[in-house]
Amino acid sequence: MRKVYIVGAGMTPFGKFPDRPYYNLGKQAALEAIKDAAIDHRQIQAGFVGNVMAGMVPGQKVFKELGMTGMQIVNVENACSSGATAVNLGYWAVASGQYDAVMAVGTENLTGNRSGGTALAPDPDDIEGVQGAVMPGIYAMRARRYMEEYGITPEDLALVAVKNHKHASLNPYAQFRNLVTVEEVLASRMIAEPFTLLQCCPVADGAAAVVLCSEEKMRELGAKGVQINASILVSGKYKTEPGDMTVPEISERASRLAYSMAGLGPEDINLVECHDAFTIAEILYYEVLGFCGRGEGVGLLRSGAVELGGKVVFSPRGGLMCMGHPLGATGVAQIVEAVWQLRGEAGARQVQGAKVAMTHVTGGGVSGMDNAACGVHILTV
Amino acid sequence: MSVKPATNQEYEFYHPDLFVMPENGAKPYLLGYLCQKCGKTWFPKAVPCPECWSEDIIQIPLSRVGKLYSYSTVHVGQKGIQTPYVIGYVDLPENVRVFAQLDMEPAELKIGMDVEVTAGVTRVDPNGVKTVSYKFKAVPAD
Ligand SMILES: [Zn+2]
Repeated sequence: MRKVYIVGAGMTPFGKFPDRPYYNLGKQAALEAIKDAAIDHRQIQAGFVGNVMAGMVPGQKVFKELGMTGMQIVNVENACSSGATAVNLGYWAVASGQYDAVMAVGTENLTGNRSGGTALAPDPDDIEGVQGAVMPGIYAMRARRYMEEYGITPEDLALVAVKNHKHASLNPYAQFRNLVTVEEVLASRMIAEPFTLLQCCPVADGAAAVVLCSEEKMRELGAKGVQINASILVSGKYKTEPGDMTVPEISERASRLAYSMAGLGPEDINLVECHDAFTIAEILYYEVLGFCGRGEGVGLLRSGAVELGGKVVFSPRGGLMCMGHPLGATGVAQIVEAVWQLRGEAGARQVQGAKVAMTHVTGGGVSGMDNAACGVHILTV
Repeated sequence: MSVKPATNQEYEFYHPDLFVMPENGAKPYLLGYLCQKCGKTWFPKAVPCPECWSEDIIQIPLSRVGKLYSYSTVHVGQKGIQTPYVIGYVDLPENVRVFAQLDMEPAELKIGMDVEVTAGVTRVDPNGVKTVSYKFKAVPAD
């Protein structure tokens, strides 16, 4: 297998842009990634496009006005992991030798697609969906169970939102850049107990894109790329028997495969963009991604180790919590952030001396599965 | 999914394969699917057995009482379900976990408590037609 590098990264700010269709957002992100790579767009040999809500062939609509037509375009839908799936496919297309330069794009316009006042729910054909399951409720049950087992409080949960808002306040691409206090987080309106509004990632529109290429191509471009050392994509395991909802097995498994592929471990990682869709999620991911033991997540959070300036910074861009979560875009946007951090271009939110970054997305509500799909990447400079 | 109109006013959800509301007034119960080869019980029905692919599967009544694994009161939920509503995961002795709405007040909820299956309205469509399906409630003290 060949080494694969990211030589260009671009994204739109995340926010609510009801007037900007997904293809318009995707086009902007792709354009910026190509400019950043300083590559002639005609050298891009394939495009992989993650999107959830738009329906048929979104990638063709992203690329057509860029004149990037005729090449292989693959449209991928894998719920919250759609963007990571697009990068994973691009990775293997280059690693295998099929192509020398490809693009992965994630793009989503949710404000044009979601009805207000309802929560993201599993498919209505799903047995839990039809009985009333919604994503905040499922994660709320993880939180409730974790609170019972480890004695943590709503204040502990709120600290995740406080930290991620602090990071987002330094990020011009973030949707919510205001600072919040524990009291404000807990006083926001109730969504699914124990989660208040500020403990749930908001709806957002946005797009992100990366240019991937081989080592040879990178030399030809005279670029200094960020290497993709691991690209892992797995699905959830179906079981209807009782299991421990405070240990999301899919994320644990995907991260172990990623560590093994990269030959690196949690002790090597300087920053993580994880799937902090709800406050409890980030705490669970400190544990299952291997940064602390079971039940030690809140201790790690309170120690400051996961904050800017700490040993392993979680969600330096503000995470899903403050960026918002345009489903198909998130996985690519996390990787764009990792690229900027590893190049030392992240401005006020720069993780000093960052050499190794991990990105993690997981999602899709299917009854009997932790999540439908999980993607983990490890990148280095 | 099999939603069929029971009367003009009500839908019953999944009854043939999932849930029995006996007409003689006996208490309602859920149906499990026991694999005769590997011994696993599935809910909902799965043929062949997802674990061992055996098609030798028998339908069994599941225990009516289980333990509440976790719960939440949902304030922003799905269309068609009046908020707030309570949801939970219930672990049954046949080693299956069932997601359902709980016919309970938030103050009654406690992780690990015994809850029993019941029938109740789980959603109402835009025309006011109710869906009746399985729910869980606290086991009355006696
Ligand atoms: Zn079996």
